[in-house]
Amino acid sequence: MKITTLAIRNIKQNFKKYIMYFFSLSFSVFTAYSFLALMQNELVIMAFTSDVRYKSMLMGFGIIIMVFVMFFLISSNNSFIKARKKEISIYALFGMTNGKIGKLLFLETIIVGFAALVIGIGVGIFFSKLLAMILLDISLASFTGNITFSIDPKAIYITAILFISIFSVMGLSGLRVINKFELVDLFKADKVSEGKSAGSSILLLLSLLLMGTGYYLASSGESHVVVYALIPVLILVIVGTYLFFRSGLPKVLNLIKRNKSNYYKSVNLIATSSFAHRMKSIGSVMATITVLSAVATTAIATGFTLYKNIEKNTYDTIGYDMYFYGGQEELLDKMYNIFENHHTEITEEYTTDRYQATPELKTVKLGDTEFISSEAYFRVYSESGYNKLISLSKSTLKPVRINHGEAMYEYPYLTEDIENKMIGQLLTFSDQKISITSTLRSGIVSFGAIQTLVLNEDDFAALLKNGDILATNKSGEAYDKVTVLNYENPLQSAELNRELTQILSGNVGSYRIAYSHYNESLETYGLVVFIGFFMSSVFMLMTASLLYFKQLMVAEEERHQYRMLRKIGMDSQLEQRVIAKRLFPVFVIPLLLGIIHSMFAMKAADTIVFSNMIPVENSYFTVLAFSAVMYTAYGIVYGIFYFITKRQYAKIVR
Amino acid sequence: MQILKVENISKIYGNKKSSRQYLALKNISFEIKEGEFIGVMGASGSGKTTLLNILGSIDKPTTGRYLMDGKDIATLNKNQLAEHRINNIGFIFQDYNLIETMTLKENIILPLALKGYKANVMEDELYRIAQDLSLVEVLEKYPYEVSGGQLQRAAACRALITKPKVILADEPTGNLDSKSGKDLLDLLTFINKEFKATILMVTHDVFAASYCQKIMFIRDGEIYNELFAGNSKKKFFDSIIEVMSVLGGEGK
Repeated sequence: MKITTLAIRNIKQNFKKYIMYFFSLSFSVFTAYSFLALMQNELVIMAFTSDVRYKSMLMGFGIIIMVFVMFFLISSNNSFIKARKKEISIYALFGMTNGKIGKLLFLETIIVGFAALVIGIGVGIFFSKLLAMILLDISLASFTGNITFSIDPKAIYITAILFISIFSVMGLSGLRVINKFELVDLFKADKVSEGKSAGSSILLLLSLLLMGTGYYLASSGESHVVVYALIPVLILVIVGTYLFFRSGLPKVLNLIKRNKSNYYKSVNLIATSSFAHRMKSIGSVMATITVLSAVATTAIATGFTLYKNIEKNTYDTIGYDMYFYGGQEELLDKMYNIFENHHTEITEEYTTDRYQATPELKTVKLGDTEFISSEAYFRVYSESGYNKLISLSKSTLKPVRINHGEAMYEYPYLTEDIENKMIGQLLTFSDQKISITSTLRSGIVSFGAIQTLVLNEDDFAALLKNGDILATNKSGEAYDKVTVLNYENPLQSAELNRELTQILSGNVGSYRIAYSHYNESLETYGLVVFIGFFMSSVFMLMTASLLYFKQLMVAEEERHQYRMLRKIGMDSQLEQRVIAKRLFPVFVIPLLLGIIHSMFAMKAADTIVFSNMIPVENSYFTVLAFSAVMYTAYGIVYGIFYFITKRQYAKIVR
Repeated sequence: MQILKVENISKIYGNKKSSRQYLALKNISFEIKEGEFIGVMGASGSGKTTLLNILGSIDKPTTGRYLMDGKDIATLNKNQLAEHRINNIGFIFQDYNLIETMTLKENIILPLALKGYKANVMEDELYRIAQDLSLVEVLEKYPYEVSGGQLQRAAACRALITKPKVILADEPTGNLDSKSGKDLLDLLTFINKEFKATILMVTHDVFAASYCQKIMFIRDGEIYNELFAGNSKKKFFDSIIEVMSVLGGEGK
């Protein structure tokens, strides 16, 4: 029999096992092709790659994906070979050399790989338009949706070369696995102990301590602590995770075994002992998968939360659809024309003075640097003036009431530290003292100033009369007035906003348009979300199928046990329950621990990023709510794989 | 008291309509009484293992009836069969078939665990038997840490712990050296006498067979001859060899 015939026959006979292998291979090819095709897509190039930041982000992402795909393919290939140990040993027994067996397996890999390459690229071509549309739709504020369907020869070419080289590496690594087989294992394979690990309570505690410390540092509310601790936290948690799976979990299993009345229940006895027995070989895989799931869920949850908050963040930063100060006389008519040409109605328009004051106060220091010097000026509002602006703004801020002799202090980058220092500060005006009693983190009424004060109505009037509050500079020239505008469909029309920008830029003191801010955020975060989605789905599918392959290998080795158990009277329901209990922890522990890791990572991300973006009392809950969507998706995929694995496992041991 | 009754059992392998069918057992009938120690001998392919599998309800006969305590086993469904196996039958296999991921203790109590016993009841049962089989010191060890003889004793212990009506032993001495083999046969005899266990043992080994009270010889799927042990073990041994040589089997 020629070796090619044998290879084809093997594939036919192992068809059911090959299906999952084939599926994951095809998915890898699909991923690679889609990514390369995206990088070649003209619209995508226009939208992103012109900017160096985005380009390096996309490239970095591509490299991570490819490295991971390679790791995944090689290790699932090796598991697959191990699952076929018996068959391979029989070839060896009949005198086939390792080289020839390697050649046979290599041939099988190439045949299956080639088919996967064709299918993966085919599916990739089929979905390439859709993917490009999704990417552009979530990243561009005004994407019209006109992408032509295209087949990209360069992407096909690179994908093919990439995978043929990966297949070759797989072949070599397979050969290494075969060389490790001892022929004698064929006869005693089932009796060899894989080496249980007794575990150690000290290492269990240490692993929990390491992870706990990491969690503690990550959840510290101080953003500078979190930023400095980022790398140590990563190291603590990763080391803790590996330690937990290698030494901690075996110890936990040992403790479970001690509770006899529970452990000696039939299902528990069989499932726990067999799981404990495999801990050593699967511990590292589970740890790796935990870390990868944590990375993937965090990436996607971060992206998703950022993305979902872009619109809100836009208005929390800018406040209105548009504002500008200075040049009202010449500009307003031109602006009305533009709005009219675009058939867009202005829903609100309000123009007001920008008052300033320079009260005396004690120098406030943050560390060594002077935060507010004694000459600092403040933007000043009366209660009613402030409340009018707030009512026009699209942010979530509420109107305020200020008592006589008190003031509210506003600063866009307010921290707890600054808050503590500012509250109680006495502002000394020429014949009146006002104390700061409350603070607010916002900058939407500052219009060019750094800090803002809101005063009681009467105080404001008195100070204005006194000349403590001014609307003119020292030489008597009036400060530019500010105009805020809201209009219909502010975030949709690129053209309207381009024209507005054109007349505003250079002709006014300063201006902000919500659309520009929104669009820029969307480009950055849209890309982050897309990358997060893509990466997460790759990680998710691959880690889950890696577990699947490992468990198939185990099923192959545990077959005789189930045969024996049936002989002594295990019925099929019990068998199903044993298998379910046997496989459940393999999937659920990495998933859960990964999600817990990710929840703390989100806490850190909340401290550094989100708490600045989402101005609610406890932004972490908002973040968690968004993240929960992604955790659920992850859970569902793992659930599906768990059921597939369970069914396949039951088939093998039958 | 009659414990097991086999009536006209036949087993045909292969498709009934094709010409490739193979008759493993032909119209076999016999009875086993409580407390008997019976040997089944025959050449390879004579149908010994098929018979044992049918008695163990792992396999089903093509025709014929098989009654245990007057109940027809063939009428039971899959799950009832599993229950029947836990309650009534103990297996001892040639290659022990202990689960290597469990300690000997866990292996032995496994059938009780399958029956859903409480932990303390199981341990009581275990120590009662483990003492008799001198396994107490190695109970916490794993199968790969103990000797073949201990493994076989643990397997016997597992078969006994449920107090089954019948113990089926498939070549139990096949993997043991002569000393351990003799120990195991003494053990089976001890179980037979002490626990009043009914034992049916399939074997090639004439020496092992000479421990039985009755031997059935099977040839080409039929019972060819039966021998009963007399007072002299030597005489019994010689007559077994005689039948085996007529059978063309593997008598030593």
